[in-house]
Amino acid sequence: MATLTGETEVQKFSSAATTRPLRILAADDHDILRRGLKQLLTARPGWEICAEAKTGREAVSLAEQHKPDIVVMDVSMPDLNGLEAARRIHKVLPKTGIIMLTLHFSDQLVKDIVESGARAYVMKSDADRDLVNAVEALANNRTFFTARAADMLLNDFSERNAAPAVPQPPTPSRLTSREREIVQLLAEGKSSKEVAVALGISVKTAETHRANIMRKLQLHSVSELVRYAIKNQIIEA
Amino acid sequence: MPRVLIVDDHTFIRRGIQSILKSSPGWECCGEAENGIAAIRMASELKPDVIVMDVSMPGLNGLEATRVIHEAQPEIKIVLLTLHDSVEILRSGFDAGAQGFLLKSEAEYELLRALASVVKANNIYISPKVDAADARGVLREFSVLH
Repeated sequence: MATLTGETEVQKFSSAATTRPLRILAADDHDILRRGLKQLLTARPGWEICAEAKTGREAVSLAEQHKPDIVVMDVSMPDLNGLEAARRIHKVLPKTGIIMLTLHFSDQLVKDIVESGARAYVMKSDADRDLVNAVEALANNRTFFTARAADMLLNDFSERNAAPAVPQPPTPSRLTSREREIVQLLAEGKSSKEVAVALGISVKTAETHRANIMRKLQLHSVSELVRYAIKNQIIEA
Repeated sequence: MPRVLIVDDHTFIRRGIQSILKSSPGWECCGEAENGIAAIRMASELKPDVIVMDVSMPGLNGLEATRVIHEAQPEIKIVLLTLHDSVEILRSGFDAGAQGFLLKSEAEYELLRALASVVKANNIYISPKVDAADARGVLREFSVLH
């Protein structure tokens, strides 16, 4: 293994019999999609699916258990969405490459993906063309973004450096990790009591988080929160 | 052996369905299409026994493609595939000429049953997770047409 910096190692994952398998965790709430994903990826010699997850929470738990080289994760999943799961996985396993799969392209989503710690973004409609390249890139310690996403990130970086700082409106990244988790659960239709049970916190704490979320995001009703969650791809429409 | 045409704009879904069909000796995948226009053309060329048709596709969606195919080739059975448990889509699907309605969340376990139901048993198929009252209502509405 060649060491490029003092802290990182580059390991070549290839079809050569002498290298160890590239271990991939696949996370998507649709069984049939995971089956297709598995079929695509395991066709490559030396690549194996070491675990499969149906929810973001399961993905985090399995990632901690299996320590995969790569995680391929749908952005929209129930219980805990892919972005939040990516943040948590990146925190405990910073060397694990994370690829986000999404139905839609949006500038904000690309930014959110980068901020979550993921290093690649592939649209499901282009997966046949892009996913294998994305896995190879991450396996060799590179990032993978389409030209459109890369242009957007570069323009955003340039604008932020050129313009004077202005107060930013509340965005998901301004919420705490717990708050983002609660936004999803509320938008999925759970009551404060159900949120409390799901997260193992008191109802009073859940209600306090809820009030803070509504205040930070300047929302006044659950329907506004649901619209917010859909717009920011915290849940699927 | 019944021949299946797979229509979905997402590669993973097409691959997943193909994988299920390959694992079952009773079905043959005869082709794939990634949009409604291609589905119409391939249905005409390949004359499959059944089409697994995604509802939401760019350009011509699955409902419209179903309508066109059912009018031109009513002998072809069509199982709609959708993310959404929606009574409107259910109703529109049967109105367009589909015989099956399968939720993507259940496709892994229900696909073969859905295909057997519409092709071999010549029955209507609706995913078990669809609200029973909605399903009954739509079936009553269309029972004279199928």
